[in-house]
Amino acid sequence: MPPRAPKRKSAPPNSLSVTSSDGSSVSSKAKTKGFVRIDRMFDSYANSSLGMIDPDGIEALCSDLGVDCTDVRILMLAWKLKAQRQGYFTQDEWRTGLKELRVDSISKLKKALPELEKEVGKPSNYDSFYSYAFRYCLTEEMQKSVDIESICELLNLVLGAQFRPQVDLLIEYLKVQSDYKVINLDQWINFLRFCQEINFPDLENYDATQAWPLILDNFVDWMREKHSSF
Amino acid sequence: MSLPPTKRSLSNANSNATASSSSSSSPHFHPSMKKAKSQAVACSLDPNKNGLHHHHNQDDNDVVFDPSSMALDDDSKPDDARAPAAANLSRKKATPPQPAKKLVIKLVKAKPTLPTNFEEETWAKLKSAINAIFLKQPDSCDLEKLYQAVNNLCLHKMGGSLYQRIEKECEEHISAALRSLVGQSPDLVVFLSLVEKCWQDLCDQMLMIRGIALYLDRTYVKQTPNVRSLWDMGLQLFRKHLSLASEVEHKTVTGLLRMIESERLGEAVERTLLNHLLKMFTALGIYSESFEKPFLECTSEFYAAEGMKYMQQSDVPDYLKHVEMRLHEEHERCLLYLDALTRKPLIATAERQLLERHIPAILDKGFMMLMDGHRIEDLQRMYSLFSRVNALESLRQALSSYIRRTGQGIVLDEEKDKDMVPSLLEFKASLDSIWEESFSKNEAFCNTIKDAFEHLINLRQNRPAELIAKFLDEKLRAGNKGTSEEELEGTLDKVLVLFRFIQGKDVFEAFYKKDLAKRLLLGKSASIDAEKSMISKLKTECGSQFTNKLEGMFKDIELSKEINESFKQSSQARIKLPSGIEMSVHVLTTGYWPTYPPMDVRLPHELNVYQDIFKEFYLSKYSGRRLMWQNSLGHCVLKADFPKGKKELAVSLFQTVVLMLFNDAQKLSFQDIKDSTGIEDKELRRTLQSLACGKVRVLQKLPKGRDVEDDDSFVFNEGFTAPLYRLKVNAIQMKETVEENTSTTERVFQDRQYQVDAAIVRIMKTRKVLSHTLLITELFQQLKFPIKPADLKKRIESLIDREYLERDKNNPQIYNYLA
Repeated sequence: MPPRAPKRKSAPPNSLSVTSSDGSSVSSKAKTKGFVRIDRMFDSYANSSLGMIDPDGIEALCSDLGVDCTDVRILMLAWKLKAQRQGYFTQDEWRTGLKELRVDSISKLKKALPELEKEVGKPSNYDSFYSYAFRYCLTEEMQKSVDIESICELLNLVLGAQFRPQVDLLIEYLKVQSDYKVINLDQWINFLRFCQEINFPDLENYDATQAWPLILDNFVDWMREKHSSF
Repeated sequence: MSLPPTKRSLSNANSNATASSSSSSSPHFHPSMKKAKSQAVACSLDPNKNGLHHHHNQDDNDVVFDPSSMALDDDSKPDDARAPAAANLSRKKATPPQPAKKLVIKLVKAKPTLPTNFEEETWAKLKSAINAIFLKQPDSCDLEKLYQAVNNLCLHKMGGSLYQRIEKECEEHISAALRSLVGQSPDLVVFLSLVEKCWQDLCDQMLMIRGIALYLDRTYVKQTPNVRSLWDMGLQLFRKHLSLASEVEHKTVTGLLRMIESERLGEAVERTLLNHLLKMFTALGIYSESFEKPFLECTSEFYAAEGMKYMQQSDVPDYLKHVEMRLHEEHERCLLYLDALTRKPLIATAERQLLERHIPAILDKGFMMLMDGHRIEDLQRMYSLFSRVNALESLRQALSSYIRRTGQGIVLDEEKDKDMVPSLLEFKASLDSIWEESFSKNEAFCNTIKDAFEHLINLRQNRPAELIAKFLDEKLRAGNKGTSEEELEGTLDKVLVLFRFIQGKDVFEAFYKKDLAKRLLLGKSASIDAEKSMISKLKTECGSQFTNKLEGMFKDIELSKEINESFKQSSQARIKLPSGIEMSVHVLTTGYWPTYPPMDVRLPHELNVYQDIFKEFYLSKYSGRRLMWQNSLGHCVLKADFPKGKKELAVSLFQTVVLMLFNDAQKLSFQDIKDSTGIEDKELRRTLQSLACGKVRVLQKLPKGRDVEDDDSFVFNEGFTAPLYRLKVNAIQMKETVEENTSTTERVFQDRQYQVDAAIVRIMKTRKVLSHTLLITELFQQLKFPIKPADLKKRIESLIDREYLERDKNNPQIYNYLA
């Protein structure tokens, strides 16, 4: 079918910020008052001409926190801050995020990271974090899908710790297959479902007649074939 | 015999009647069991009643029923005496004995007494007679007297003791007779005939005794409960002593079984002997227990062994013939000597052992061979035999897998694509004739054939549909001489049967349409009538929606003729048209016809002028329309002046354009031609090849070779000769190119994708929320072409991507429609 204009205005990539609404109703005056230290922290990383923390600032922040900038915890921080744009934190994002974390110094932030990790680990938050991770990769206007290479890195980052064997195989498969060049949100979400619901490595509860996206049907076929050929 | 008017004359009549019969010491009774058994016939010694028995009452001048001799008894028991006499008379339908009654009354005065030894003496007489009967000796006492004696005893209420005495006497003789059989001849046949003789004698003797003691049977036996008639008593005694002499019974049964077995093995046996002995078993009431059971066991064993052996030795048709023969034989056997009731279990046993157990083996070993060999008769035999043992289901399954297997060979072999449709037609015709003649047009089998065909024709996607369309093209194309209209109609009907099985009818339609377009536009159709008949067949099959585009094509052709006519007469044409050219235009409605990729060509000036004038004319008539010239479909007739003769060449428009270049040049390079014609590279190569490398070489290629290379150049063939004046060089246009084929197929698939998308949206729009499985099920119901679930998933995902649908956040198995 020829591509057609989206049916309605495409939702902003991070509609998530709308869903988690706690703490956003504080009056701006009160905010300003309590945000002196937080703002100072912000200023120390922000690019003054842009008025927000840019990739360089984030790199600096990472080195101050003593974590790699590709560390999953930075992604978690971005989720917590509801950062709209990859590689950038706006002042508003910074303020509400840090306020919620109850953090106003680099050392406190460092200590808060394990807490944050725990928070993300909760099932209710994890789904939201997981889909946030995908949206965080959508850098262009109207972009809806992410290229395979980025997806592989993202999988590694987000699911690698929990589902090592699945992620390894999935990445291997994504790299050898040629049917898909990009991954959309639906497929991305179903990767997580797959890891959570399907017995591994026997896959006996996988049923291709269910609503799994075709890419996962193919992935399972590929695994089964690979398995039987050994 | 006329009715006697008086008693006296009645007795005379009796004596007259009996006098004619000759005397014989051993009266001949009909040995047939049927008669002996039936009391009504055998019992009636009454000479008036049954003339057949006259000779049993031999040479008695004294008449039994003489009323005068009865008078004596009448004195003592007048009532008793009169009763039987009256009974007798009434049976003879004589006039009521009213005058005699008066006489009797007078005599009742004295009280006569019986002689004291009356019973003993009478019995002695009877006993000696019975003895004589058993010993087959003549007895001094005539039967009439004996009958009277029994009568007398009964009248004096001595029936009971008489019965017992007779029974005792009979028992002695019967037991002796059976004992005498013990240890007799080891030869079973001889032994059997001895048994038969013994039985035959007993029957005769018992009938005789019963004849004498008929009165006893009629009075005492009838009036006393739990007493058997004399005949039954005889049978019962025989049965008792037969079972006591178990050796005799056993030997008889074995003998019978042995005889039947040897008959089965092809020897001639004495069937009457078998018949008599088996009737004996029936009469004795021991048929089913003593004979039938071992007989069925024996049969079962026999046929089990035979079935095994023959299945190994002979091929299936022979085996089936043999089984049929065997069943017939057993049927005959029942008619000839077995009891009728044995038929069912016997046939069932034979069927079970010979057929039922071997059904899978028979099917495995012979079904395919019979089908391949189109052995109508053998298959018919198989069908009728299998239907006897309820094995038609197995046969049906075998048929189904046979069709699938054989059909697979036809459909899946890509090298035989050319012959696929004719092969399938032939196969179907063969199956149909087998179904009609061998399988008695069984409905279930018909459906099996249909199902199997549908399965196999769809084994390969699309290709069969395409080949069916091409097969039709071949048949409907001109130059298909030798087939009459009727034959063509028949073929079309047959092809339609195959078409019916096809799931992807859209593929058929696409290819049929493409071929039809070429036939119509290039004037290659054999007969417009046949074309229309085919369209109407498709219409009845698939509805008018399926054919309305095809019909539109015909309409366009007819309309074009009119347009051309009016164009010729129009002022534009008469004034402006360049002379020397005649042109006719087909105006095709977009949408009805297949889509053709636009092909550019630089037309010769004359043609361009012509086109423009036509365009002007057409648009003046139908304003607001847009005309697009389909160069690839044009064809022309050129007059060519070869040094060795004038020719007319029927060529395609592209060929024309190329050839026209040689009006001004002798030699042109490939590149020159390409530049001046503007024909697309590949198409140009094909065109040049057809002109310089085909059968009719009006150009010469330098250097020679089959394929057209970039550096080749072409020269006008000065030395061209051909026997005919008019030459067709445009066959190239009818031929389907690979690109054409793939683009047709692709278009079908593209169309299908739209249809799937539309169906998904349609369903989801009404349902709003639907689970994946239900959506897939509904799609399969709605979509009329074969499609894999994976393809459906792809479309669903694409619609999710385009935000027509979303996966439910809480249940990933459910889709929501996004309005």
